[in-house]
Amino acid sequence: MNTAVAPAASDWRKRAANQTRLAFGQALLELAARDPKTVVVSADTQDLLGIRGYIERYRDRFIEMGIAEQNAIGAASGMATTGLHPFVCAYAPFITARSMEQVRNDVAYANQRVVIGAAASGISLGVAGGTHHALEDLALMRSFPHMTVIVPADVDEAYQATLATRDIDGPVYMRLGGRVEEPPVSPADSVFKLGKAPQLRSGNDVAVIACGAMVEPAVRASDTLRAQGISARVINMHTIKPLDRDAILAAAAETHGIVTAEEHHLTGGLGGAVAELLAVERPTRMRMVGMPDTFAVVGPTLKVRAKYGMTAEAIVEACRSLLG
Amino acid sequence: MNESREVLLKRLDAAARQVRRDVWRALKAGGSGHAGGSSSAADILAALYFHRLRVRPAEPDWSERDRFVLSKGHANAALGAVLAQAGFIEDAVLDRFYGYESPFGMHPDIKVAGVEMCTGALGHGLAVAMGMALGARIQKQAFHTFVMLGDGELHEGSNWEAAMGAAHYRLTNLTAIVDANKISQSGRVADIIGVEPLADKWRAFGWEVREIDGHNMGEVVDALDGVPFNAERPSAIIAHTVKGKGVSFAEDTYVWHSNNVDEEIYARAIAELGMP
Repeated sequence: MNTAVAPAASDWRKRAANQTRLAFGQALLELAARDPKTVVVSADTQDLLGIRGYIERYRDRFIEMGIAEQNAIGAASGMATTGLHPFVCAYAPFITARSMEQVRNDVAYANQRVVIGAAASGISLGVAGGTHHALEDLALMRSFPHMTVIVPADVDEAYQATLATRDIDGPVYMRLGGRVEEPPVSPADSVFKLGKAPQLRSGNDVAVIACGAMVEPAVRASDTLRAQGISARVINMHTIKPLDRDAILAAAAETHGIVTAEEHHLTGGLGGAVAELLAVERPTRMRMVGMPDTFAVVGPTLKVRAKYGMTAEAIVEACRSLLG
Repeated sequence: MNESREVLLKRLDAAARQVRRDVWRALKAGGSGHAGGSSSAADILAALYFHRLRVRPAEPDWSERDRFVLSKGHANAALGAVLAQAGFIEDAVLDRFYGYESPFGMHPDIKVAGVEMCTGALGHGLAVAMGMALGARIQKQAFHTFVMLGDGELHEGSNWEAAMGAAHYRLTNLTAIVDANKISQSGRVADIIGVEPLADKWRAFGWEVREIDGHNMGEVVDALDGVPFNAERPSAIIAHTVKGKGVSFAEDTYVWHSNNVDEEIYARAIAELGMP
């Protein structure tokens, strides 16, 4: 570790304020200190990703693209071809859907090292309404060859995962939260390993495979179930692609069924990815917790989540129904 | 190189003629293809690769090389032709146009030596080229980035995001060349969705514009040598061209945007273009 970065890194946790989007912005400071090829691209998202500190310090390695996601991705790809390592700071709903062709062609097809930090994913901006929700981004992004897809569950994971992108020789989509607190779930000594899902609770009755904002409810669900005499393994599937096949296949082999939990449509996200694997390798009874096939109502994130069954209680219910 | 202007222009005209012959040869190999837009671009591509661009065919990834992005990627037959003539790729590749697992398909692929980006989905190249120009600036490199767009391609709104951004950053190391052949896939651009007044549009977006006859090699060379046209602005060259240039039956018609090419058509085209 470069000691020169210690002052910047020392209180990043405080500045991240339990929000993964801000942890991403803090990690960029450490990345820039380590790697002169680091360049940050904003789509008028300087506060959304908490990068004003970065901009102040690394003005010559910052490009504001304005409200132009297609241009942000295309130019990031062009910069990557010259040897730079661009990190695009953007809104998840816009950077995936609006500029999807640029992501597919300029970044994924051309296999360029562009990291997309996609804040405001899921219904984390609940009050903003359906135009600003991103409930299909995982389905879109994981369908592209070359693409790595990461969904950090808390700020420690987001910070470490952002640093870990340095070692990924290809494009990365990092799904980040919005202006809603993401309580810590990672053990203090946890080390992020790409494609290696940490197990947060042990158990052999049932396994809950969760990602992002649903990891913390999954842990609570497991604790509730334990009090009821049911042991529920909890796996934090922070990397959606490449998927941790071993962890999923082991859970399928060692438990009576699998529940997936995500803040994403039930089509094509984590549940879909797990089901695709198990359908071929080891057909397993499953339940999927996530957003049904509808656009979400407007409202505070936690209330909207609850309306559509994305809660610890819903995970408990899904586990019990598998065992019943 | 102590080459007189007369010799230079003759050499480039001959190179452009060879590009056109190789375009038709590739299209014959593939059975079809984009003769119109490949032929309209031939003179500019020849001037770029055999005069203006600082590139090293034997070292295609040389980090200081000038960049060229063919945003109108459907003219890949012409790009393949110049890359082969320049020695980036083997000449025999031209006979594998559209072939199974060929490096040389309908649209450019970054995996091919000398190709800077996967293009052909229109409206991508200008943003990518802007990124390359930014990359040069951030890393204090002296290379220049050129990007060629079609005039019909300018329907894509993403171009104007990039035009706005490149002007904002005063990317004098970036030049957009519009191969304005006035025709797209379905007909005349003016009838599909008009793009005029084109020069005024680019100027309004903050670019310094020069309009040229894209088949007059002297004008092409002067424009390419003249960039940046302004010490504060990116440069736009609007090259007025003829779609299908060089082969009478293919000139100025949407029918030859893309069309089938058999032995007989190939022979007629080559007869008009002359032998080397």
